[in-house]
Amino acid sequence: MKREPGWYKDAVVYQVHVRTFYDTNNDGIGDFAGLAQRLDYVQELGVNTIWLMPFFPSPLRDDGYDISDYRSVHPSYGTLEDFKKFLSIAHERGIRVIIEMVLNHTSDQHPWFLESRSSQGNPKRDWYVWSDTDAKYRGTRIIFVDTEMSNWAWDPISKSYYWHRFFSHQPDLNYDNPAVREEMWNVMKFWLEMGIDGFRLDAVPYLIEREGTNCENLPETHAIIRDLRKRVDEQFPGVMLLAEANQWPADLRPYFGDGDEFHMAFHFPLMPRMFMGLRLEDRKPITEILQQTPEIPASCQWCLFLRNHDELTLEMVTDMERDYMYDIYASDKTMRLNLGIRRRLAPLLDNDRRRIELMNGMLMSLPGTPIIYYGDEIGMGDNIYLGDRNGVRTPMQWSGGWNGGFSGADPESLYSPSILNPVYGYQAVNVLSQKRTQHSLLSWMKHIIGIRRSTPVFGSGSIEFLYPANHRVLAFIRQLGKETVLVVNNLSSAAQAVELDLRRYKGNILIEMFGKNIFPRIGDLPYLLTMGPYQFYWFRLRRI
Amino acid sequence: MAEETLLTDDFVRQLINVGEVDILVGLPTHNHAKTIEPVVRAIQAGILKCFPRERTVIINADGGSNDGTPELVTGASIDDVWRASKVYALRTLHAISTRYATTLDSGTALRTILAAADLLRAKVCVLVSPEATTIEPDWVQKLVRPVYYDNFDLVCPLYRRQKSEGALMRNLLYPMTRSMYGYRIHEPYASEFAISGRFATDLLGKEIWTQEWGRMGAEISVTITAITGSYRVCQSFLGTKAQPARNSSDLVSVMRRTVGALFASLDGNFELWSKLSGSQPVPTLDSEPEVIPEGARINRKRLHDMFATGVTNLEPVFRSILSETTLSDLQKIAALGIDEFNYPAELWARTVLEFTASYHKSVINRDHILQALVPLYRGRSLTFLLDDQNGSGENIEIREEALCGEFERLKPYLLEIWGERK
Repeated sequence: MKREPGWYKDAVVYQVHVRTFYDTNNDGIGDFAGLAQRLDYVQELGVNTIWLMPFFPSPLRDDGYDISDYRSVHPSYGTLEDFKKFLSIAHERGIRVIIEMVLNHTSDQHPWFLESRSSQGNPKRDWYVWSDTDAKYRGTRIIFVDTEMSNWAWDPISKSYYWHRFFSHQPDLNYDNPAVREEMWNVMKFWLEMGIDGFRLDAVPYLIEREGTNCENLPETHAIIRDLRKRVDEQFPGVMLLAEANQWPADLRPYFGDGDEFHMAFHFPLMPRMFMGLRLEDRKPITEILQQTPEIPASCQWCLFLRNHDELTLEMVTDMERDYMYDIYASDKTMRLNLGIRRRLAPLLDNDRRRIELMNGMLMSLPGTPIIYYGDEIGMGDNIYLGDRNGVRTPMQWSGGWNGGFSGADPESLYSPSILNPVYGYQAVNVLSQKRTQHSLLSWMKHIIGIRRSTPVFGSGSIEFLYPANHRVLAFIRQLGKETVLVVNNLSSAAQAVELDLRRYKGNILIEMFGKNIFPRIGDLPYLLTMGPYQFYWFRLRRI
Repeated sequence: MAEETLLTDDFVRQLINVGEVDILVGLPTHNHAKTIEPVVRAIQAGILKCFPRERTVIINADGGSNDGTPELVTGASIDDVWRASKVYALRTLHAISTRYATTLDSGTALRTILAAADLLRAKVCVLVSPEATTIEPDWVQKLVRPVYYDNFDLVCPLYRRQKSEGALMRNLLYPMTRSMYGYRIHEPYASEFAISGRFATDLLGKEIWTQEWGRMGAEISVTITAITGSYRVCQSFLGTKAQPARNSSDLVSVMRRTVGALFASLDGNFELWSKLSGSQPVPTLDSEPEVIPEGARINRKRLHDMFATGVTNLEPVFRSILSETTLSDLQKIAALGIDEFNYPAELWARTVLEFTASYHKSVINRDHILQALVPLYRGRSLTFLLDDQNGSGENIEIREEALCGEFERLKPYLLEIWGERK
């Protein structure tokens, strides 16, 4: 499949874990053969890129982010051949595949670590960050505050401490060691040669440690990324690198470099502010964070999402904002995890179809490449009583039948219990029933994805906010070349009237992009729109 | 911001009220009060009879009538129509009118209708002449169905005509378009046709509106664009077509709009037509004999005089346009008496192709070239009408086919003289 430069800017990404999607061998765990079989569905949905969560051999103590072999497939999901088949079918259908690459750390079961810890004199000793004391790098924050007391863990075998930014069973690799850097590039090359289209590089800010710093976003880390990017560009042109760096926009900006580091990075601070804006019925949180978002090189792109496999992270908000988010979206403390909320989109929005549509409308129209988390396109629910973030990683709900059509195994043997409650359970929320209904959430999602992909203006266009007097309305202009799109969102639960100053576009008529009906021509007077609760409009401006 | 807009604010407001439609019927008019009412009624009856469930609108693009034409279009009541036809309208049948420009221009009228079709997302856009007094309700169906159900992009009409009518089509426009563009479309310059919404949108975005040929003859540019753009084209037999009465000065303007546009189209499409040879048929629906071979009242002497006088008076002009052989051949037949007169197919084809090349090279003012073709065309018409005076329609079609054969055979000659300096 040919990779056009900048293909990722116009992509719509579907995030999925192979384990959760479809089980073909009835062992209760989704597999690559199942994912390949369900590519029809992914294609029909209209997305053109799949982001696969980790599928490598792993003890699965952190949902696969604790890798014990970088060059294979976890036996529960199939074989390397199964992966290749899946990749080939995806490409035949015009779907690109991005895979995870966890650079920062391995599992403590990885042979490298087993060797490293075996003795202080082992040749692999220097592949990880060891210390005789746990007093180094004191200025470094702890990420998993609910489970970890320190970034150092005591290793009783080699009688010293090892460094870990995440769980203590995930020792950090030592990127000051050139052998580590070379080996990780070889790992990336292994998958690139197979034909994958990009990597989501996990936890990139933490590659390097330096005393007296917070051990995040260090210049040496950027140098490593630049080196990887250079190798990718030279040997695998068109391959995309996506950064997972949960940072403020100003700290994130360097990860794009001069267009010579990452192609894309997640815009973490925007997402909670979209939820905030909705409940505050005020555009301020959204316009404010986007105003603070620095310009990025033309070849680069933000990645936007509403929900993902992790908690709705509230690291990149102020304390006051976090308190508000907890009160509004996670009043039950069981819903909270670390600095975030472990819930899916539909339950977060009280299963209100209008709000779900509005949030997806903003996701698809703000500058960036949207990512849809599997199951959110049908309004799947969560199970906050499952541990960690497993409540948002339950089996895909295909039908109202046995195990929701996910697996023929005994329900008790599934990797995770399916959602069973009467509101979100698979008998109420599933693909099969929604496919039969023209006005289901699934049908609507297909429609909006189709419209989003019908024009490059959303992927590559500029954004200019309008500031109508009515603060409940978020309105902006997206423009690319001769194409101009006006987006107007009513964040309020009540009907609103809004007057927009569109004099610059006088003479244009508006064409509503969903129904394609025409609205009156723009004149000298403020353009009056009336909007129902949580309604949004996308208008294409046309001069005729 | 001072940029002109094609559609007036009032028209846009009316379109908003109509909303999305399935079928849009366009009526370009200018002082057609005498003929418009039966045309509108036939259209309404056709819609009610065959498309009662479809969302429809009649769009009248008027060039500034002062005889109340727009009011007649918008005021036409469907009550009588449905009583007479015993059909009932399920939906509102909209009819709206807009003044498209301050000056008459068929291209702008068509563009206005296409813009409305595009904005209303019409699946089919039908154009009907306000002078189509012989229109029957089923014309609507015959034009709409191939687009609506069979995914054609352009439906050209076939008419049944009296032998004395449609001579320009038979002797020049059809054989020339066919030989140049390779498709046997009998009515390439049609006043009734239907196009798909897709094609309407594409047409609107094309450059033809700013190019000479698009401005000169909007209708023929639709056909040529369909052919050159590989759109799906078919022909549908409509019925009898009566030609509106015209005086001789009308012929010059018709020549400009049709032959001029066709000649001008060759400039920009050289890469395409120069590589084509022969021609292929297009799918034809409901085909019936196209000619009523009844005797027509022909003023033979007048046509003969116009030809002979033209050949004599315009000799200096012809010397710039025609080869010596062709001019000499023309002078020879001009000297023939009316009873022996014959303008053979081969000479006519050669004449037209030499005019085509001269038009391309603009050897003299292009409009003068077209005007100079008029007396020669009259001579050819005379031969066409006199030949086999009492022959059947079949004979006429055989002769028409032979003429097309001549044009196709001589196409390499056109290529030879196309770039040649005179």
